Amino acid sequence: MASTEIYRYLTVSDQEIALDPEGYLVHLQDWSPDVALVLAAEEGRELTEEHWEVITVLRDFYARFETAPAMRPLVKAVGQALGPEKGKSLHLMKLFPDSPAKVGARLAGLPKPANCL
Amino acid sequence: MILHILNRSPSASRVFQQTLDAMGPEDRLLLIEDAVQGALPQLVRYFEPVIGRLFALREDLASRGLDGRCDSRVMVVDVDGFVTLTEEADKTVSWF
Amino acid sequence: MNDIPEGDLLVILRHGPHGNSWLREGLDAALVAAAFGQRVSLLFLGEGVMALLKDQQEGPLGQKGTQPMLEMLGMYDIETLLVDRRALSERGIEVDDLCVSVSLVEGEAIAGALAHHRQILNF
Repeated sequence: MASTEIYRYLTVSDQEIALDPEGYLVHLQDWSPDVALVLAAEEGRELTEEHWEVITVLRDFYARFETAPAMRPLVKAVGQALGPEKGKSLHLMKLFPDSPAKVGARLAGLPKPANCL
Repeated sequence: MILHILNRSPSASRVFQQTLDAMGPEDRLLLIEDAVQGALPQLVRYFEPVIGRLFALREDLASRGLDGRCDSRVMVVDVDGFVTLTEEADKTVSWF
Repeated sequence: MNDIPEGDLLVILRHGPHGNSWLREGLDAALVAAAFGQRVSLLFLGEGVMALLKDQQEGPLGQKGTQPMLEMLGMYDIETLLVDRRALSERGIEVDDLCVSVSLVEGEAIAGALAHHRQILNF
């Protein structure tokens, strides 16, 4: 769920973006590709074309279902959008080590996925 | 066999109908809380399809002054009997 | 009626949208179980069938509607949506009025659905 508690601010091209304690956006409408870049850079992640593909899938999923996906539906959605080669948890684990559903949602400006390890 | 547990009175709520619809031929029904009013001879007709498999919880009857007013075809069990019914069932489903 | 569906968990939904949170809670429980790899089926009884109507919207105070959640079930591989035929007809609702595809059940098939799932949660 999206938290409304502002924990800190992220500076993105002179704008202050409110983040919750876990680094998710407090105001989902604040998201832009630049926000994703700065969030990723904070953690030493570099966003390749393949990352952006998945971020787009995540944002489409949220636009359609109003919910950030857990891992299984994320794998399915990626498979549907980008083909079976990429619709594999291994591919997503490689792009977003730790927890693809959580890290992906954070970078894509979605609320934290519920029901997710 | 599934033990179905109902806690609403048949004279106040239609949940009992859903419960009956969902019961298989071997399933049992235990009336607890307000549902024990369904054990009265005047109300037990609602549970006609499951007579012989119909139980009511003694503690909830007693607290309502209904212990002793039950229809004779309702099997009255205490909490230990509730536990036994649960053990004998594959699973339980609560209706509320 | 074709084969009775089997599964790990049957979630029974008996409440419509908006009046209370039972429907959302039930769908949430189904999604959690499915996210962890359980085979989940849904059974819509009584007023629960109202959850499936097309053209639902968000509430007057901006409460989320349930239609997006229902449409998302397929992404969680929840494909078995059983609907009480009588509950639909009692409300004058046709299958074409529903926003997702469902299987109609009635009579013994309802009890059969309960018998063929390992766990049951009632909402």
